[in-house]
Amino acid sequence: MQTRSMQTKRAARNVDIAIIAVLTVMGVLMLMPFLWLFSMSFRPAAEAYKMPPSFLPPTLDLSNYQTVLNSAVPFLKIYWNSLYVAVLLTIGQLVTCTLAAFAYARLRFPGRDSLFFVMLIGLMFPAQVTILPIYLGYAKVGLLNNPLGLVLMGLTSSFGVFMLRQFLRSQPKELEEAALMDGAGYFKIFWRISLPQLRPALAAPAIITFTGAWNSYFQPRALIESQQAMTLPIAMDLLRGYMSQGNLSVVMAAMSMSILPVVLLFLVAQKMVIQGVTFSGIRN
Amino acid sequence: MAKRRLSDLRKAQMRAGYLFVVPSFVLYALFVLVPVAITIVLSFTYYDISFGADWVWFENYQRFFGESRSITIFWNTLRFAFFAVTGNVLVGLLLALALNRAMPGWLLYFFRLAFFLPVIISAAFVAVVWSYFYAVDFGVINYYLNVLGLPAVPWLTSSKVAMTSIVIMDVWKNTGFFMIILVAALQGVPQPIMDAASMDGASPWRRFSRITLPYISPVLFFCIVFATIGALQVFESITILTGGGPGDSTRSLSIYLVDEAFGSFELGYAAAVSVVMMLLVLIVTIIQLVGSRRLVEA
Repeated sequence: MQTRSMQTKRAARNVDIAIIAVLTVMGVLMLMPFLWLFSMSFRPAAEAYKMPPSFLPPTLDLSNYQTVLNSAVPFLKIYWNSLYVAVLLTIGQLVTCTLAAFAYARLRFPGRDSLFFVMLIGLMFPAQVTILPIYLGYAKVGLLNNPLGLVLMGLTSSFGVFMLRQFLRSQPKELEEAALMDGAGYFKIFWRISLPQLRPALAAPAIITFTGAWNSYFQPRALIESQQAMTLPIAMDLLRGYMSQGNLSVVMAAMSMSILPVVLLFLVAQKMVIQGVTFSGIRN
Repeated sequence: MAKRRLSDLRKAQMRAGYLFVVPSFVLYALFVLVPVAITIVLSFTYYDISFGADWVWFENYQRFFGESRSITIFWNTLRFAFFAVTGNVLVGLLLALALNRAMPGWLLYFFRLAFFLPVIISAAFVAVVWSYFYAVDFGVINYYLNVLGLPAVPWLTSSKVAMTSIVIMDVWKNTGFFMIILVAALQGVPQPIMDAASMDGASPWRRFSRITLPYISPVLFFCIVFATIGALQVFESITILTGGGPGDSTRSLSIYLVDEAFGSFELGYAAAVSVVMMLLVLIVTIIQLVGSRRLVEA
């Protein structure tokens, strides 16, 4: 009897090992595109198309990176635009969303619930339904071809408000009530009590917003044409066009630099990034 | 005296409430509500940037549902959504089932890294890499097919294959998201019931179909809905891999919308296309609301 259960245990263990082995192979395959682009970025440009492809950097020669920085495409400016948009958006959303979340979760005022409901409806609209009027409006006020336009249109988020409100509602109210009794104003209560309570919940929306802005393609593509105003995702096409003649490794050097911030964020704070991104999925 | 102070307090609260809500609500109205309303109005007009709008009622919609080109694109989008959703959720589920067992922490870190990294990198970046993988003559995949003695595949240049290639990349990119969500769901399946079932000699498939599946079905349903809403909007991967071609064989509604709006400046018509997209997303959302209520009740 005992030997039989030991046998089934051993069989189960073998199955586990087999499955983990298969997963490992698949995991390495999943990473191939990244390994390829990284090692390509170090290949001498002349050998870019030589087969077999390499998945480990053959040298650590940075000349392709230099070529990108010295090319006709204003890569550094574009990089700066991406950082500018992503950082300002993240800060802006944190400000507008925490303020609104505090009001919706803690204050009583007429129309509160209807306003909140109207805000939630925003979760339903794809970016495609808002882009044409934004384009026409931006054309009128001169915000086309301006990274500031990308910042303005994303300064708040229905989802951020919703998520932070839910979190705040799960926090104890006693401190606020005591502060109110002591005659503290609402801004003080927000700043001194609710914001510290919200702090652990801020990382997730901040990460979603930053990576979302860094990766955004549809809207910049519709609103920006000039190279000086581009962000990285839409500049990839440009780089590919300029450099495709035998300069695959240079494109990949640009690519490595472009994905670097998000990859670093992920390596350092894997759990938090996964939580943030999947949380944004489970909004219901 | 006390009464007056109470009403003062109420007033102060009201003022603070509106003040705190105003920034986000004004921005939201300006960049979401008003544009959506304008898009809907625009979709009933013929709009010319220099001459303004002419009211044409349903002409744009008649054109959309009357032209064979737009119908092809409409079906392309649904076809892509169907295969991408099936692939993403199915592969995600298989990976989740495989991952849902005891293993050392560093291995788990590696798997999460490998399967989730594509999720957080923009399709705009990785599609460029894939376009080199898919290249016919100097492509990485065809090189290895050649090594194995197999014929080269025209991944992106044949209208028969291109859509499949795009779906493959999409599954590579997004399946990790569903894997993570489904792993979390699988961990909610009570172990004692599973143990009891295997003691009674239930086969792995029976345990899966009778215990695991019912437990995770609400989450699975959510995954399908979420994947569908995303897939209906597919844009950057196709733009970069094929630009919608060859012919129109991979053109999606989003790409068509951008072409019409910013290529041909048919803004009224483009607005109608975006309203059609909004309705598709709306239908899926309603199915979700009704369906999730059913699933919770069941």
